Amino acid sequence: MTTETKRISRRKFFRLAGMSAAPAAGAEAAAAPAAAAQPTEIVIAQYADLVSLDPQHTNDNASYGPEKLMFEGLIGFNEKMEMEAMLAERWEASDDATTFTFYLRKGIKFHDGAPFNAEAVKYNFDRVTNPDNKLIRYGLYRIIEKTEVIDEYTVKFTTSEPFGAMLATFAHPAGGIVSPLAAKLGEEALEFGKAPVGTGPYKFVEWVPGDHLTVEKFADYWNPEQAGKVDRFIIKPVPEAGTRISMLQAGDAQFINQVPYPQVELVKGSSDASIVENESVYTYWVAMNTQKEPFTDKRVRQALNYAIDKQAIIDSVLAGYGQVIDSPLAPRVWGYKSTRTYEYDPEKAKALLAEAGVSGFKTTLWASDATDAKQVSVAIQGQLADIGVEVEIMNMEAATLNAERFKPPEENQSMLNFAGWSPSTGDADWGLRPLLSKESIPPVSFNLAFWDNPEFDEQIKTALGTADEAVRLEAYAKAQEIVMEEAPWIFLWRTTVLGGISNKVGDMWIQPDGIGYYRKGYYK
Amino acid sequence: MFTYLLRRLVIIIPTLIGVSIAVFLLLHMVPGDPARLMAGLDATQADVEMLRESLGLNRPLPEQYFMWLGNLLQGNMGRSTRTHNLVTYEIGLRLPATAQLTLVSIVIAVIIGLSAGIIAATRRNSAWDYTSMIVALLGICTPSFWLGLMLMWIFAVELRWLPTSGRGDWRHLVLPGITLGVGAAAIIARVTRSSLLEVLNQDYIRTAKAKGLREQVVIYRHALKNALIPVVTVIGLEFGFLLAGAVITETVFAYPGVGRLLVDSIAFRDYPMVQGILLILAAQFVLVNLLVDLLYAWLDPRIHYDNG
Repeated sequence: MTTETKRISRRKFFRLAGMSAAPAAGAEAAAAPAAAAQPTEIVIAQYADLVSLDPQHTNDNASYGPEKLMFEGLIGFNEKMEMEAMLAERWEASDDATTFTFYLRKGIKFHDGAPFNAEAVKYNFDRVTNPDNKLIRYGLYRIIEKTEVIDEYTVKFTTSEPFGAMLATFAHPAGGIVSPLAAKLGEEALEFGKAPVGTGPYKFVEWVPGDHLTVEKFADYWNPEQAGKVDRFIIKPVPEAGTRISMLQAGDAQFINQVPYPQVELVKGSSDASIVENESVYTYWVAMNTQKEPFTDKRVRQALNYAIDKQAIIDSVLAGYGQVIDSPLAPRVWGYKSTRTYEYDPEKAKALLAEAGVSGFKTTLWASDATDAKQVSVAIQGQLADIGVEVEIMNMEAATLNAERFKPPEENQSMLNFAGWSPSTGDADWGLRPLLSKESIPPVSFNLAFWDNPEFDEQIKTALGTADEAVRLEAYAKAQEIVMEEAPWIFLWRTTVLGGISNKVGDMWIQPDGIGYYRKGYYK
Repeated sequence: MFTYLLRRLVIIIPTLIGVSIAVFLLLHMVPGDPARLMAGLDATQADVEMLRESLGLNRPLPEQYFMWLGNLLQGNMGRSTRTHNLVTYEIGLRLPATAQLTLVSIVIAVIIGLSAGIIAATRRNSAWDYTSMIVALLGICTPSFWLGLMLMWIFAVELRWLPTSGRGDWRHLVLPGITLGVGAAAIIARVTRSSLLEVLNQDYIRTAKAKGLREQVVIYRHALKNALIPVVTVIGLEFGFLLAGAVITETVFAYPGVGRLLVDSIAFRDYPMVQGILLILAAQFVLVNLLVDLLYAWLDPRIHYDNG
């Protein structure tokens, strides 16, 4: 292996990290011009292990973060989750949102030397849309009916039906372009994930599942402004938050993803590390089963919204790292519109219940058995008791909870369901359609309110039927107004994602969708 | 002896088949849909169904079991439904790590446990006895995640003597080894103490003392060897528990072992992986027990396995 010679031994690395950890030495090192003594690798401790390194076969944030060091899509997201051009210079969409033409950048090479061009793009989307390859992201791109090479640097996609959210779907991390050369080498499509090859600023070195992933700087990266600033990244799965924080404090890691709310002060109190905050696109809510009494009545649903003191729960359970939502979408989602909130008003809640002819009832609340979900459940139980609603809490292990949630309506026992969602395309479509449209009622998707509102569905359809941004925005604005008025959910909050960063390094983030954004990381 | 060994080894096979059936049934009884978990919450039902079919999960349970068993007999444990890697590959990566950690911690446990037990028994009702037994009680009661984080905080964050976590050279084994070994050490100490006390009251010990043998010789040559049988049993059992029970220690120290893989695999209902891991853990447990039985014969010449 040619990489062996360049590798700093582990012991030497710990020694370096340990030496410069002393405050005085650290200050001097920062002032001194001698760059030779600078560590050249960044260690990242993540909350979970990677599952895959093939973007088209990935479904978890813990894998997408490291993948984004190696792969880039035609379009991508920056750390604020705003769309930016990556491998495509520019693009056009037809008005009816069925054809999308991309003009590619020239002179880009994959890590294995293969050229990046229209053929490579076509190979990628043919690969993921072929059901025989059994790639997990087949469902996301299935709507692409054909991909055509117009010339060496122009590629055209045609969808089977109008799909206004297509551009955002290309920006999804699953849209990372893999090297056709490398992908063809693995006889089976899924083998590619073991030795992935992309166009990103870092290239694959080794992956020992459960232990670490190593990537190193790619010398021929196409964009000098965004080229890698350290020699290598090492990503380690560290499930225990206390351990991640210890690693950060001891200099064994330079960035940790994520920091749970109760432990924020530990990091803040440390002299050589800080918290990196980012406003997330995760929204949390309690879905009410709108097909069952008493939640068939809008007044009852609104009453429950008035009965919850969201701010109090944010302040206690989330240590203040959240914001009450005024739409089913978080503000950073494209298409979000500030609509309305339900101010905490138990008297109004009681009045609405009385108006609906309901005086005190019993119901059940489903939530996961994660610590914060349990705390939220208890808070909701207490606050609903104040308006005479007796809640039985059922905290379930995640896999069991999902099995129960995805049962069809006739078997589904769900009444109140505490859940959260982050639209990974950053687009209103994926923040609304899987959660609230009639077609998404379980077992199909995640409409846990079993909500069936033709007006809402109409707006979603209008927005999907066009690539005209003004039309889409207007339709989504109307859709959000309908949701907030009809209240199929108790609307709670959007969260803030928190990472921990050593003061020696900079420019690493957790994206609003929870995916690590490490590629710009550098030593100060 | 040889026949005995052979018989014991043959019995392992039905034992493991029993274990595999129990594991298989239990796994499928627990609610949870691997296809949905793998496809994600935002996947459509059609995608989930496609995945279910490709994983073979829509076939009848007996068929699934016998397919798995058939493959197993050819040395193939199947592929993880989550990572799609071979189960043998994923376990093979982690088993040496877990074995290493377990050995280190059982050595730590035996050294600490035996010494404490002997000290307590030979200085019965002294301050030594009370102190070591109180410490042992604390050792049994201390939750390993708390102990692990405390050790990490003191030795890795404050003193910077040892690395916080991960796997590497011997220094990476010290803190998790102690964390994992302390509980077992405490149990070994208590068993050693009571067993040794019982032996020390026997007539032959009194005879040995009356002969004028030195105290050291009486304790180490005459008493200890006879007191070791229950201790060896406990060490064997503890070793088995450590192999399977390193989950928390492995999680706290981000140590790439089998325990963590098992817990992750259960959370994702990764049936082939869970079955593979439990089968291997069960086999280890059975083998360690066999080893303990063989040790009995060495420790106590009255125990023979020839005709039994």
